[in-house]
Amino acid sequence: MATAMETRCSRVWSSFLFWVLGTLSQGLVGGAASYTRQLSVELNPGAPSVPLSSELLHVRAVGNNDTLHFLFSSQGAPTLLLVHTNTSSSTVKVSWPQFLARNTSGSLRVEPEDSILYSTAVLFSRLLEYDDVNDTATPTSNFFPPYELQNFSWSRFNLSGPTALVCGADANFTSGSLCLQLSVFESEGHGNLWPRLLHSANASQLRVWLDGVLPRADHSRFLLELQAVSGAAPLSRVDVHQSIDDEFTPSIFKVSQWVSSENSSSDILGFVQWKPVAYRRPSPAVEDATPCRHSDPRAQSEKAVAARSGLITAFFSGGEAVGLNVSFGLAGEPFYNSTKFLSWTALVGIGSPPVDSFSPLVLTIMAVCLGTPMILLLLGGVCVCLHKRRAASETAYEPIN
Amino acid sequence: MSDFEENQSLLGEDDARSFTGRRTPRDPDRPLPAICDPSRFLHRVVVLGFMCFLGFGSYFCFDNPAALQTQVIQDLNLNTAKFMQLYAWYSWPNVVLCFFGGFLIDRVFGIRLGTIIFSLFVCVGQVIFAAGAWVNKFWLMEAGRFVFGIGGESLAVAQNTYAVNWFKGKELNLVFGLQLSMARLGSTVNMNIMGWVYSKMADVFGSTGYATLGASLMIAAVTCVFSLMCALVLGFLDKRAERILQKEQGKTGEVIKLTDVKDFPLTLWLIFIICVGYYVAIFPFIGLGQVFFIEKFNFSPAEARAVNSIVYIISAPASPVLGFMVDKTGRNVIWVITAVVTTLAAHIMLAFTFWNPWIAMSLLGVSYSLLACALWPMVAFVVPEHQLGTAYGFMQSIQNLGLALIAIAAGAIVDNKGYLVLEVFFCACICIALIAVMMLYFVDYVRGGELNQSASARAKLQKEATAEAEIKRCTSKQTKGELARLAPMSAFCLRNRYLSRLGAQLPDHCSTHLSSLAYRSVLK
Repeated sequence: MATAMETRCSRVWSSFLFWVLGTLSQGLVGGAASYTRQLSVELNPGAPSVPLSSELLHVRAVGNNDTLHFLFSSQGAPTLLLVHTNTSSSTVKVSWPQFLARNTSGSLRVEPEDSILYSTAVLFSRLLEYDDVNDTATPTSNFFPPYELQNFSWSRFNLSGPTALVCGADANFTSGSLCLQLSVFESEGHGNLWPRLLHSANASQLRVWLDGVLPRADHSRFLLELQAVSGAAPLSRVDVHQSIDDEFTPSIFKVSQWVSSENSSSDILGFVQWKPVAYRRPSPAVEDATPCRHSDPRAQSEKAVAARSGLITAFFSGGEAVGLNVSFGLAGEPFYNSTKFLSWTALVGIGSPPVDSFSPLVLTIMAVCLGTPMILLLLGGVCVCLHKRRAASETAYEPIN
Repeated sequence: MSDFEENQSLLGEDDARSFTGRRTPRDPDRPLPAICDPSRFLHRVVVLGFMCFLGFGSYFCFDNPAALQTQVIQDLNLNTAKFMQLYAWYSWPNVVLCFFGGFLIDRVFGIRLGTIIFSLFVCVGQVIFAAGAWVNKFWLMEAGRFVFGIGGESLAVAQNTYAVNWFKGKELNLVFGLQLSMARLGSTVNMNIMGWVYSKMADVFGSTGYATLGASLMIAAVTCVFSLMCALVLGFLDKRAERILQKEQGKTGEVIKLTDVKDFPLTLWLIFIICVGYYVAIFPFIGLGQVFFIEKFNFSPAEARAVNSIVYIISAPASPVLGFMVDKTGRNVIWVITAVVTTLAAHIMLAFTFWNPWIAMSLLGVSYSLLACALWPMVAFVVPEHQLGTAYGFMQSIQNLGLALIAIAAGAIVDNKGYLVLEVFFCACICIALIAVMMLYFVDYVRGGELNQSASARAKLQKEATAEAEIKRCTSKQTKGELARLAPMSAFCLRNRYLSRLGAQLPDHCSTHLSSLAYRSVLK
């Protein structure tokens, strides 16, 4: 009798458990239905033929009542321009002769002009190399002449869906290349390759890698110089957030966010987000990770920045420019020479940077682990009570026998 | 059966010897100085010194990989899963050897030769391990850890056999306590010194790399050579004492009968589950701890090694205190539940907060010592005495199996899913232990609550039992020889016998039936 009751009990309990779990995981994971955008990709909009190293990619991401324009160009230093408009019908107009001449502001316009909410551009300006003889990884001296990315000869864009790949090489490279891959997303998700950053429909991902380029010294380490120009608020500060969740980027517990905001308290308008890690192999394992650090952002002359990039010249007239360096490797870490490969990934987007939450896997395990002992406690308590009562009733009947 | 007879005679004789043996030096005309006289306290102190350092090398080298985790991974270009193989290979031989360690010592080698052989295994294993690092051959390192594992656990058994042989009826509890502290000391010193040794070696070699790592591990092997010398000296002293005192070689007195497994009660299986579920969340975690503290909490390598060793540091003084506490209060199941829940809390803290890990690791240290004090003696309450050897052997065997498998799994999890999922995984293991201990509580409750009795209730029962036994003994004095063999030991005897395995401090008069069935895991 008791056992039958027990089994029925446990069946009820287990179905209850599944129900609780189901609701929990729905509420925490599926409930936050992610924002989606319609993407349309266009290479060199409105131009019949474009010379090499001057291509322009336009990805239009249309939301419910706004549009994000991602413009990526290899004219000069590779530049990504983000323009956020408050209508779903804004368009990009390029006057190609002026755009190719690289001297007129306004040769690339987003219309209607008064619909623009926010615009920011990020460019990869220089690749710096230094000889870290004493293995201290402090880039202060022993610099080699920097590679200016605006002088690279860039390949044509290699498109596959909303992903574009462009590779370039300096005249001094004897082998290898520097490649950039831009990915734009329809909805929220994680990348396939480490660091598997969480992206949303409001952010694009840029992966930069240096492959097979011969270092100029055995102990060479590299730095990448990034510059940013913004229409409204500049990307003024880098926040480093700690995160307990390293499920998607094993052993990395930090996120760096280079953000723009009018003042420190107001909402974030745009961001560049990355995890302080680079990888030394194309398809990395965890041991190929190498830490990276960033310098404090510094104000730059807008003119000098615009001179590097055709896209910035064409779109911005004025605006504030900021720059920072990302340096790869720490003291004691293997030098670039060991694998001759280095890749780094960042998100560029508008609004607040996406924040990782616990995955369903973690939530399910924890719920089951903590839930089962609780249920067992209740079940056991009930069983013990029943047992006690039965024992009591048995003794109560004894005198009659 | 013959085993049993031997044990009986050994136990009986030993009691007698402790009194008569003192006055039988070989040459009564020329008394030996106290330090050379095996029957004198001073000489035993010297022996104790060698005994303590006998295990030092193996304890020191066991956690070498954990102490040099970053260096091992970097110099040999390993991933975490491969790194954890070093721990798995240590555990594999012990899945089987737990059953044979005692047998080998008693029947094949004898304690002296056995100890020397096991020390040799430890020594050779560590040298192979270091050589593997030196020539950058990972399979050789794994082979080294395997050989090291063959010697390591069995050496712990041998060490305890020596202790019983020399100190039974004298300072045995103190000796167990000291050996325990030495084991902890070995682990702690290793955790905190190997990084320094490595950096010195890096200075000598001019750079870091696998040769530097190999050299550092070779230096660690010196502790094993030292332990081997202790084994040789101990063998000599023991032989000499045997000659002078005409005593027997020590025996582990362990009887393993694998067919007993089918008779194990449900409660014992639950204890096995607790043991595996709990320990797999401790040792593999310590093995992986260093990098975790560096990455998540931004600790310096030295600081990370220190916080990683706090578990060992705490358990050295906490074990006797907690052992005493459990002893005085009884209610083992409640103590085990407390320990498991505290460990769960510590792991949850490490997983989901950035709180200073000193808090969580200290909690872990205390709860881990408490668990050892409360869990291991419970085995003696649920199986009859003649099955104890098998039960403990089996428990150790599946514990080692669990450790080997979970070590590999833990490494793979870190590589692919990171430390959060690893911690969640360890929480899951602890939860399995928690479920098992709760079931144990209920099963025990339904069956009368024997395991969870308070100390006073237990004392009362035991009094009745001894009185009964006394009556029986009186009524059948003529057949004593036959019957005594069959009569079960009182609960009191059993309890003390196995509590003393933990190095728990018992009054000397309580420990009449001390066995040396002490294994490394018990001491851990």
